[in-house]
Amino acid sequence: MSNPAAPDLPYTDTKPQGSPDFYYGINATFRFMLQRLGMDGWRRYLEEMGRGYFAPVNRQWSQGGLTAVSRYWRAFFAAEPGAIVEVVEKPDRVEVRVHECPAIKHLRAGGREIVREYCQHCYFLGSARAEAAGLTMRLSGGSGSCCHTYARPDAGFALQDMAAIKEARS
Amino acid sequence: MIGCYDFCGHYEWTFGWFERVGGHALVRDYWNEAINHDSQRHARDLIRNGGIPGMLKYWGHTLAEESPSLGFNISHREDVFRIDFHDCPSRGFLLRNGLKNYGDYCDHCMGWTGPMLREAGYVIDHEHNHRGQCWWEMRPASATGGHAAPGSVAGDKDIRFNPAWPKDPAKLDRYTKANDPDDKMK
Repeated sequence: MSNPAAPDLPYTDTKPQGSPDFYYGINATFRFMLQRLGMDGWRRYLEEMGRGYFAPVNRQWSQGGLTAVSRYWRAFFAAEPGAIVEVVEKPDRVEVRVHECPAIKHLRAGGREIVREYCQHCYFLGSARAEAAGLTMRLSGGSGSCCHTYARPDAGFALQDMAAIKEARS
Repeated sequence: MIGCYDFCGHYEWTFGWFERVGGHALVRDYWNEAINHDSQRHARDLIRNGGIPGMLKYWGHTLAEESPSLGFNISHREDVFRIDFHDCPSRGFLLRNGLKNYGDYCDHCMGWTGPMLREAGYVIDHEHNHRGQCWWEMRPASATGGHAAPGSVAGDKDIRFNPAWPKDPAKLDRYTKANDPDDKMK
């Protein structure tokens, strides 16, 4: 039986929230990839995951537009323990305002060395997913609080400024 | 963002990606280096320092968090630590959501716990049926012989008494006094 509280998520569990210790696994996976495959390999992994594993979400976004995007992110963060997030839908964009990133919070609480590129994963993954759905994505901030913006192409955003994504601090 | 709610889904997807990029050797290295030595270093520390009581502390906590419905049973004595999974929360997530990007997801458990327990001085007896059911017995590395008889450690909680447990050994992957994911006997 899947979680009835998460109908807007493509993959559902029987419990309402995930286990935060899995953030240790995500952080360790990124470190291993960066050491073994470099930045290009890590980026390729995230982009392929965005187009592959997340294909059901991309289809939801493609069909449902920005309303589907906002519904997804509300459901997503409701299932992430410790997240403090506001999702704001505007006519041409959705802003996901992350006041407290659950991953960074838990990694810090657990005394883990956070991969300094950690926050860039949200851009590489998110932009690949947005592109697959005919949208654009930009990211600013990081290291615990940030803003993801998903928009229609006519929003006319400038190219992503990678300097606008902060390094994650442990 | 990659989240923890569907961790088992993208974790399994990652195994398949690694295999395509770097073959089986890269998957093995990932389980040992990233999961055993980095992500799960709290488990390593508890078990290396505490032995079987450390196993109880680690798996008692992590399984209660991952499987609040208690689809597992833990048994332990001075010479053995045993887990019976009647409804693995991790494999169950994949089965319920129809996810498969890697040959045998269940191998990841031996992939990281095998080397971890070798470093702590233990060997593993294990069988899994690929349907979210399996059992594990960890004993000091000096232990010899084959699998203990059903019920001899876990009593009636032994998964091998479950009607869903295959009677045909060909449907099981089996490890005996092992520490390496490639020590599998089919």
